[in-house]
Amino acid sequence: MGLRKLFEANPERRYIMFGGKGGLGKTTFSAATAYWLARNGKRVLVFSVDPQASLTDIFQKDIFGKGPVQIVENLWAQEIDADTHIKQYQNEIRKKILDLYGLEAVPSEIENYIQAASAEPAMEESAIFDAVVDVVVKGDFDYYIYDLVPLGHALYYLSMAKVYDQWINKITKLREEMREYEEMAGRLKRQKQTEQDHILEELHYIKGRINASSAILTDRARTAFFFVVVPEDMIIRDTQNAARLFAQFDVPISGYVVNRVIPHELLQQHIPEYLGHRIEMQDRYLQQIRDTLGDRVVAQVPELERDVTGLPMIEKLADLMYAS
Amino acid sequence: MDTLEKQDERKPTGIRRILRDMRQVVYGMAAHDMSRAALRTRASMEHLFILITMGDLLGIPILPPYYSLRLLPYVVPQISTWKRRMLREKDLSDAMF
Repeated sequence: MGLRKLFEANPERRYIMFGGKGGLGKTTFSAATAYWLARNGKRVLVFSVDPQASLTDIFQKDIFGKGPVQIVENLWAQEIDADTHIKQYQNEIRKKILDLYGLEAVPSEIENYIQAASAEPAMEESAIFDAVVDVVVKGDFDYYIYDLVPLGHALYYLSMAKVYDQWINKITKLREEMREYEEMAGRLKRQKQTEQDHILEELHYIKGRINASSAILTDRARTAFFFVVVPEDMIIRDTQNAARLFAQFDVPISGYVVNRVIPHELLQQHIPEYLGHRIEMQDRYLQQIRDTLGDRVVAQVPELERDVTGLPMIEKLADLMYAS
Repeated sequence: MDTLEKQDERKPTGIRRILRDMRQVVYGMAAHDMSRAALRTRASMEHLFILITMGDLLGIPILPPYYSLRLLPYVVPQISTWKRRMLREKDLSDAMF
């Protein structure tokens, strides 16, 4: 089944993701798909969860940290500015500490911890992860297209979501036991109980946020996840491994898109030897892809004559990908 | 207990005795439960805080850093120098939760 038919047959799949190794065409396909859907009258938001986002480049419009920006009719794009988000968040935490304990300044050890935690690369990713929950839960759009971070991180979120869920359940249980116990023994210090209730509240909140995201990622009915591959040896092996992993976490892969296919017709022309060899090599890998993935390959996209940036090229790609 | 009994010249009877017994039971309960509760509170707060901080030290992300930061305000009392600072200003009973 081709890409176009897939979309037409599954209108309830509103969360679209293109995943795969870096540099293979995820952003390009996200943009083209968004464009095609918008042209068909759907309200679409394409947003980036990659700290090194490239939607600004492909749409040739500065959308970084500006919330949803309209590109053309029905089409909005968003690049989440993680750094500003984190800074604001840090200030909220600081203020909370000052208020809670009646302090003039945040103790230096705490401040050090806040700075150290925010310097971690995982902080940026988890900040974006959280911001995405807000974006998709709002529900203003018919379609949400996630331009995903390179392969490894997507899997990290999925695996960690289950781990966090279990860990939070354990801690929550422990704290609830404690709370019951203390209620039985009689309260001496009301302030202590409020703190514990707050922690329980926070744990529930965190659990809710993590689950909101992972619920969407694993929902076969609402989500379509497309794997982008190119006809090269390593990629195929990596993709097989990744597919296995995704299956473990119940993430449904709706199809594979093969990108960067050098047009076979070139062989008819006068071409340099090396290009001839490349096409032959490519044919071998395309055969391998057919053998291993079969009819799960939903599209084969040719290598275009120039890079896909700007709306005209995006439109051209959309026409190729979603031809009737 | 002994001092209380010595203070009563004659053995308490009736209501006095009941009140005395009740007082002893209540003191016992309060002291016992308070310390047990305090211990469990502290143990789990320490536990949580250690998970949050040690996780980072060991390079093992336990919670996404974005979310562990949310819990930070509630585990602030566990930090020792902060505690010491608090001890200087308030009396011992407050600091011991």
